[in-house]
Amino acid sequence: MKRITIVLTIILFCLSLSGCSKRADGEQSVRTAPDFKPLNSIEDGRKNVYLIVKNLESNYWTVMIEGAKDGGDDFDCNVYYSGSYVESDWEEQSRLLDDAVAAGADAILLAPDDSVRLSEKIDETYQKGIPIILLDTIANTDNYDVCYMTDNLVAGQQAAEEMIAQLKKGGVADSDSIQVGLQLGAVSSQTISERLAGFFKYWSSNAPKTWEIISDIKCNDGVLEKAVECAEDLLEYPRLRGVFGTNNCSTCGFAKVIKERERKDIVVVGFDYSEDIAELINGDYMAATILQRQYYMSHTGIETAMKIINGENTDVKFVDMGVVVVNKDTMNQAEVKETLLHN
Amino acid sequence: MNKKKNVILPNELGKKFSFIRMLIIYLAICGIGVIVLLISFNGLIRSQDKKLTKDICSLVTEKINSSISYMTSSAVNMAASLSAQNYSDLQELYDTMSQDSGGSGYISIGFIDEENNIYASPTELSEFEKWNLLDTAKLADPVSISAPYRSGRTGQPVFTLFVNYTYGSGKNGYLFLTYPLEEIQRMAYTESLTGDTEIWLMEASSDNIIQCAGSNKYFIGVWDNALLSLRKPINDRYQKTYAAWKDKMSAGEETAAITYKIGSETYTQVCSKIDFMYGWYVVVRIPSRSLSSAIQQFRISIFIFLGILFIATVIMFIVSHRGEAKEKKVLENLSIQDPLTSALNRRAFDFTAGQYLGYLGKTLKNEASLLFIDIDYFKHVNDRFGHEAGDKILKEFSAALREIFGDDGYVSRYGGDEFVVLVQNGDKDAINEQLELLKKKAAEVMPCDTAEECGDFVLTFSCGAAVFPTDASDLKSLQASADNALYIVKENGRNGFGWYEKEE
Repeated sequence: MKRITIVLTIILFCLSLSGCSKRADGEQSVRTAPDFKPLNSIEDGRKNVYLIVKNLESNYWTVMIEGAKDGGDDFDCNVYYSGSYVESDWEEQSRLLDDAVAAGADAILLAPDDSVRLSEKIDETYQKGIPIILLDTIANTDNYDVCYMTDNLVAGQQAAEEMIAQLKKGGVADSDSIQVGLQLGAVSSQTISERLAGFFKYWSSNAPKTWEIISDIKCNDGVLEKAVECAEDLLEYPRLRGVFGTNNCSTCGFAKVIKERERKDIVVVGFDYSEDIAELINGDYMAATILQRQYYMSHTGIETAMKIINGENTDVKFVDMGVVVVNKDTMNQAEVKETLLHN
Repeated sequence: MNKKKNVILPNELGKKFSFIRMLIIYLAICGIGVIVLLISFNGLIRSQDKKLTKDICSLVTEKINSSISYMTSSAVNMAASLSAQNYSDLQELYDTMSQDSGGSGYISIGFIDEENNIYASPTELSEFEKWNLLDTAKLADPVSISAPYRSGRTGQPVFTLFVNYTYGSGKNGYLFLTYPLEEIQRMAYTESLTGDTEIWLMEASSDNIIQCAGSNKYFIGVWDNALLSLRKPINDRYQKTYAAWKDKMSAGEETAAITYKIGSETYTQVCSKIDFMYGWYVVVRIPSRSLSSAIQQFRISIFIFLGILFIATVIMFIVSHRGEAKEKKVLENLSIQDPLTSALNRRAFDFTAGQYLGYLGKTLKNEASLLFIDIDYFKHVNDRFGHEAGDKILKEFSAALREIFGDDGYVSRYGGDEFVVLVQNGDKDAINEQLELLKKKAAEVMPCDTAEECGDFVLTFSCGAAVFPTDASDLKSLQASADNALYIVKENGRNGFGWYEKEE
């Protein structure tokens, strides 16, 4: 009897494991993408534009969905949306592209989860004569109409420029021997690599030679607790005067630790908007964050999709939507306020 | 505690450690040999890796520079032709030329006049501002090439080539042509290279790189930083060498090579300057395993062979030593034993007993007893039953002695029918009991096979004993004391035993 119970337990355990399908590359697809839902009121006779995002449960992508909704209202089209729950789930996005085609999409706005593996499906869809607008991330193919995204190399340079400016404002002299620490969200991400390269590019040409970047670049793998640990590790460096977080998680990690230890002598430059970084910027700290304009990516994307549907051609394939640097001084600028409204 | 094992026999002296010492020396020599071989092999592999990587890097750089040279020649020729035609209206020239772009692999063309007015599309104008392309143009002598950037027009990474030209009445300006970076990447790609080979375009000042070839296709054509692209930090002992390699690049050296380790993986990395792309290098980075697989395989084979040879030698060593030890043992036994009775011979007994008593003398902890034993009327045995029967008696009596005293004493045939026993205690009562037992055993010893033949024969012995250190403090005196006691026993009619008693 005891043996039968053990065997049954093992079988039940195996069955429960098989409930989460595992991909060949080892990534787990926890949930399948939902069917497309309308974003605005659907009206007969209007063109149908489909939006596919990377993560349906992230604030960043919610803002992008809002942009598409407003774009639909502003440019008179029906907008449907869906997306994956995990930013690496390109197979679900591939299925959604098929669904959009089957549903009769007049244009598709896509933020590709995988710039390489999704290219073939993008080619296939584009060759069916459906306009494709890429958002946030470019794909390794020419078969799309235009891509609206942040030029991360430029964004990284702006982060370095802000870091140098704040350090100088904070009284660090050119001759001072100081250190700046960096933290990443993921090692193998094109976006992060380009931001970092941009940072190094500007830093190597503009920072005094005595201002050193710590070669031990921390990586938090997208886990906030780890980001906090990385920040704590970097704070052990005695000459540390600045930290740069290349994404939201890294920035939150830095902001939490800096706030907790009241290290007002350290400049924090990060990416994206969160309560933690906002508290630093609004408080008595030296801090800034770089905001992307994802709302405008999708809003402009809808506008362009309608133009292409109406027979207009685009003369560019890549548009850098630019970033906004938020710090104590720029906080009240109109552009910053407007971008913050959509973050 | 004072067991026989504490005593070293003469032929055991020094023999125990000679084999181990020889084995250690042999192992040390083998170890040194293997280390020397390993060092020379690694040196060979490193130099071969460096040479091969340098060759690959030279090849890639040559291909890239040839491609750039072709582009620059085209641009210089075009500039010369335009200069010769002496256009004065650059807007008109731009409008004409831009319609025809793409003819020689470039994706767009434009002009810069003496007043730094740029004749280009609005997207390109924004790129001039974003990437400070005007500064790159001013480096043209006669050509300069920008760092790669993502083109708004194509969405792909591109670079722009600037060349001096003249227009109007001898005014100086720049002609520029934008090419897809793919043109250079294609040159860098070599089909025969494995996926492990990474080829970067690297900016010396920032350590930023653009991957042209590598195992991770997501990073091809993407900006990255060398610090990050290494994924894991270079081992500490190579940090300085790596910094020196970077310094060479920053100093503008034509080429520089380095070998370093990340974890257990060895890499060879070589950089070569790219013509006209100031501050930029082609870097080829190859893990040692992909270059030296053949020689590494050879090295593994050599070490396997050496390992087998080593094990075989050690086994032979041990087997030969054991054989030798066996032979030695036989010889040793012959030299210390009485061949007839297998008891110690006189020489061995004197040495062993002397050592043992010396040891006891130093420790002052224990006593010992020396027994002098004579077989009674042994001559009569020989006369009556013959020498063979005499030998039989000696053998069996000796066996009885060893049986009774062998566990805690040394038994020796001292000569003829004389036996000496050194017992490792001075307990007279216990020894008396043992002698009584010996008496019984001796009575059982028969010179003949049947009782009829032996008749009334009964083997008896006389024994004189003395205690160390009570009766004597050295072997010679102890023997004299025991002999004295034996004399008294014999005087009293034999077939008995007695202890030495000091005269008052």
